[in-house]
Amino acid sequence: MDFDFTTEQIELRQNTIKFAQKELNKDILYRDKESSFSKDLWEKCAKFGILGLPFPNEFGGADSDILTTLLVMEGLGYGCKDAGLVFSLNGQMWTVQMPIFNFGTSKQKSKYLPKLCSGEWIGANGMTEPGSGSDSFALSTSAKLKGDYYILNGTKTFITNAPVADLFIVFATTDKTKGFMGVTAFLVEKESPGLKISKEIEKMGLKTSPMAEVIFENCNVPVENRLSKEGNGATVFNDSIEWERSCMLASDIGVMERQLERCIKYAKERRQFNQPIGKFQAISHKIADMKVRLETARLILYKVAWLKKTQDRAGMEAAIAKLYLSESLVKSCLDAIQIHGGYGYTTEYELERDLRDSIGSTLYSGTSEIQKNIIAKYLGL
Amino acid sequence: MNLNDELEKFLLTEIAIDFDPDKKSLSPDENLISSGIIDSMGILKLTAFMEKKFGIKIGNEEIIPENFQTLNALTEFVEKKIKK
Repeated sequence: MDFDFTTEQIELRQNTIKFAQKELNKDILYRDKESSFSKDLWEKCAKFGILGLPFPNEFGGADSDILTTLLVMEGLGYGCKDAGLVFSLNGQMWTVQMPIFNFGTSKQKSKYLPKLCSGEWIGANGMTEPGSGSDSFALSTSAKLKGDYYILNGTKTFITNAPVADLFIVFATTDKTKGFMGVTAFLVEKESPGLKISKEIEKMGLKTSPMAEVIFENCNVPVENRLSKEGNGATVFNDSIEWERSCMLASDIGVMERQLERCIKYAKERRQFNQPIGKFQAISHKIADMKVRLETARLILYKVAWLKKTQDRAGMEAAIAKLYLSESLVKSCLDAIQIHGGYGYTTEYELERDLRDSIGSTLYSGTSEIQKNIIAKYLGL
Repeated sequence: MNLNDELEKFLLTEIAIDFDPDKKSLSPDENLISSGIIDSMGILKLTAFMEKKFGIKIGNEEIIPENFQTLNALTEFVEKKIKK
């Protein structure tokens, strides 16, 4: 493993930070309060090249390797205070674009990837259902082949980007007798007859990332929009969720670094009992803990990226990364608030928003408990 | 130990044990998927084992019922991959 980044990679990260600080933070307090998604900011990120980073030039991407991509996403998390926007971007990159790239036909890739990389279209991934969350493949949405179309029926919930999405990757059962291997993935366009989007789901954090239910009532999907073979849906899902678990939290390394620097500055400036509060071990130890978590989380992230680059499969390591980074992020957010005292509790200081935004990371893409189940399974338990 | 036996041993000791700890053997055409012996997590573990043990690379598009649903199908699949 060699994590010695080139000058170009470091510059790219710095440029991303500058871009994010200049372009993405305006009105964040207002947008968070109003749960408002910004298509304008989405397009700015696409224009900067975020969405296309790991995808080939022929589809409008930058053809960056995975470590470079994660370094940029780290920079984005450091510079951009709009965690909902970053979450939505990540959701599309890893659970919509990546499965299309890995499993799509040439026609599907040419049709959809350029639109997604350029920001013209927004994508969403539909797996979770009202009755199936952690037990992902116990889904009830069905797809029946009728002539040149599959007829989809069912409901998907907690679908990130659904209210603004143009394209959905939807998982449905095509053969119940085959259990999880009877699941198939489909590319469903927004205008497909029988597709309905519910009203937005309000949530605790990541408020600028829109979420809704998606309902399929005799929704017609052309056979050519099946993603991979019938029965290969579980593999499509497992592959994309492994990418998501490996890469989605890279931005949170940036968030943790930003918080750490802010806490160090505050601990040096804020005086109580005639000395900077950083002189009290109660504060300095918290900051030391934040630094240890940041550095260990960063190494775990880089290791899983290196494994994805060199060996492709990294099921257990992706679960370790997801578990450790998300739990570390929540702890850092709590520490940052505690260090800032009453000010940390105020909306104006923006640390309470970081905390609200962080909680979701221990839930989406498999809860922390599910990550531990996966790790234990790989250990033969 | 031949390839079939290696696969059966792994399935019994690492995969089926969660489903039925007392299971001592697998019949060649027993459906491992519809019976619930191989679940969505088990298939990840099984795939990783097959790649490492037999030195093969399994493409994502090859993880389909036809290749994984019985011990016989698994054995044939791995034999073909090794020959390639």
